[in-house]
Amino acid sequence: MSDGSVEIKDLVKTYVDDRGRPTFTAVKKINLLIQNGEFMVLVGPSGCGKTTTLRMVAGLEKITSGTISIGGRVVNDLEPKDRGIAMVFQNYALYPHMTIFNNMAFGLQLAKKKKDFITETVGRTSKALGLDKMLERKPQALSGGQRQRVALGRAIVRNPTVFLFDEPLSNLDAKMRVQMRSEISRLHGQLGSTMIYVTHDQVEAMTMGDRICVMRDGNIMQVADPITLYRKPENVFVAGFIGSPPMNLLKGKIEQRPEGLVFTEMGEKAGLTIPLKPPVADLASRYVGKNIIFGIRPEHITEECTATCVPVESSVDIAEPMGSESLVYLKAGTGTLISRIHGEHIYHMGQPITANINMEKVHLFDTETEKVIR
Amino acid sequence: MAFPSLKTEPARVSNLRDRSTRRHRLTHEQRLLIRKVLAHAFLLSFLAIVLVPFIMVVSASFRQGNFAPSRLLPDKVSLDHWKYVLGIPYTEVVNPATGETRVVKPVVPPLLWFWNSIKVSCLSSAGIILLSGTAAYAFSRFKFKFRTPILSSLLILQMFPMVLALVAFYVILDFTGTYVKWLGLNTQAGLIMVYLGGISSYIWMIKGYFDTIPASMEESARIDGASPFQTFVRILLPVSIPIFAVVFILSFIGYMSEYPVASVVLQTGNNWTLAVGANSFLYEQEKLWGRFAALAVLSGVPITVVFMLCQRFVIGGLTSGGIKE
Repeated sequence: MSDGSVEIKDLVKTYVDDRGRPTFTAVKKINLLIQNGEFMVLVGPSGCGKTTTLRMVAGLEKITSGTISIGGRVVNDLEPKDRGIAMVFQNYALYPHMTIFNNMAFGLQLAKKKKDFITETVGRTSKALGLDKMLERKPQALSGGQRQRVALGRAIVRNPTVFLFDEPLSNLDAKMRVQMRSEISRLHGQLGSTMIYVTHDQVEAMTMGDRICVMRDGNIMQVADPITLYRKPENVFVAGFIGSPPMNLLKGKIEQRPEGLVFTEMGEKAGLTIPLKPPVADLASRYVGKNIIFGIRPEHITEECTATCVPVESSVDIAEPMGSESLVYLKAGTGTLISRIHGEHIYHMGQPITANINMEKVHLFDTETEKVIR
Repeated sequence: MAFPSLKTEPARVSNLRDRSTRRHRLTHEQRLLIRKVLAHAFLLSFLAIVLVPFIMVVSASFRQGNFAPSRLLPDKVSLDHWKYVLGIPYTEVVNPATGETRVVKPVVPPLLWFWNSIKVSCLSSAGIILLSGTAAYAFSRFKFKFRTPILSSLLILQMFPMVLALVAFYVILDFTGTYVKWLGLNTQAGLIMVYLGGISSYIWMIKGYFDTIPASMEESARIDGASPFQTFVRILLPVSIPIFAVVFILSFIGYMSEYPVASVVLQTGNNWTLAVGANSFLYEQEKLWGRFAALAVLSGVPITVVFMLCQRFVIGGLTSGGIKE
């Protein structure tokens, strides 16, 4: 198998209008190295430049500046077909007037491959995808999941070194999405090819990616494996984007009080005052009197108290029992805190509750740079 | 005894009111019937407006003598005009007093005009599809300088009727004719060249259709290794057959009945198209309405045939299945 590493260097994409005047910069000088055989997920809100980046790797979009190398070879000026890539589109992009067989064979036919080879390759691939019974049908006669599987098959028969996925599951219903998700993951395991997968769904990103690249406004915010991304977000954006329900983020100040360092929430009414304990207190000591953002994940606000916990008096606003656990929205200070509490009790609105914040799991962010304080 | 009377009184009143309203108000079925009758009357009168002129022309073609149509049905049925138009010689009484007859045979058989018309219309329509299809592809898919101004100027240009440029066409063909004989005045190739100038509205039409076809289908073909031309021919064209069928029908009908330009460009009888030929029956001294009518009916035949052939391609849903909206 040839080298499928993808290196993106100082990549910029500026769109221009008919007359060649720049209108808008979608990708702003990003750098990203994707290892051979890696499953890299590009994730971010819409308009963050993730699809544009993918389309530049595919060769469908012209590169304004910077380079893209696949397998150590700069591909900036290569046609898509010569880059060793295959792409699966969000809207399937099948050829509606061709049979499933021809849809999958089209690329091989254009490459003037032998007929036996085409029949054999398409036959094998369609069988693996469970499409062998419907090769003579047209896309119209297929369900959404089957169509996307045809698109997947069309990519596989090209035997690419890099697979590109552009939100391939967002047109499927929830159940089909979960099924296809595991199918693509399995495919990655079997083929061992490099895969670049664009999605706006952070659940897809977390479950599928070897590494995840979080993007915003044309910049890369953080690249890391799912666990690191979740546990050690580099900045406020990643902290808020990854995780469902999202991390609680409180704006406030570090103050030096007689009893020690405290975090006081900003707000008109009496905001929360949270006394800080080590290890957070050590970090906060550098920020006394300064504005910071205090972040804590819902599952680290619990009923039980660990050694490093700080109790916060609050009352239940809304409780969403999910069975194994309950999401409890707590009224505390000026706003609400979301907590993920085990599902053994039923909580009622207005019920007073002592929430314990696990100080070991607190993230502090600089308000100005939005970067994590370490 | 006052009790029962009190009880029955209101019932009787309501019964009375019921009967009186029923006399004025129609039942649901009756109202529906009236509505149906009205609707049919409207549609039938509308149909009459459309059909009566057509029937008059058909009847004029079967009438004896060359008079303007007056009555809906001819008094005496004669096939003379049809024989003339189809190029079959027939005998005609010249002088009713002596009974002198003669054999009538057209100098230029009108069927030749018929053939000329079909030839010119088919070739022009095919050319128009070729030119406007490729142009629309460029306008829809490529980005280039002055794309929008060119598009809007096309739209503005087509607002002027072709007749306005009649003099220019004459001069241009006169000029080309001096260098390329077969492309000059009084040639059908020259007429086709002029006709091909009328593509701008079709470019807009086809571009509008192309714009609705998602680009990802072509991008997918590009990744599969298709050249832009292959993509156009193998992916976009098959999917766009309905719009091409519509364009073909419209331009075919248009050129089948086009008179002003053809009458200026084509000068000798054996080059004429049907519209020019038919008009030649109507001169100041004598208007041969019968022959004109027969030829007019005949000219409807190819249009009907083309329409029926193309109709099967004008079906929606060709793109369905390939793309999830």
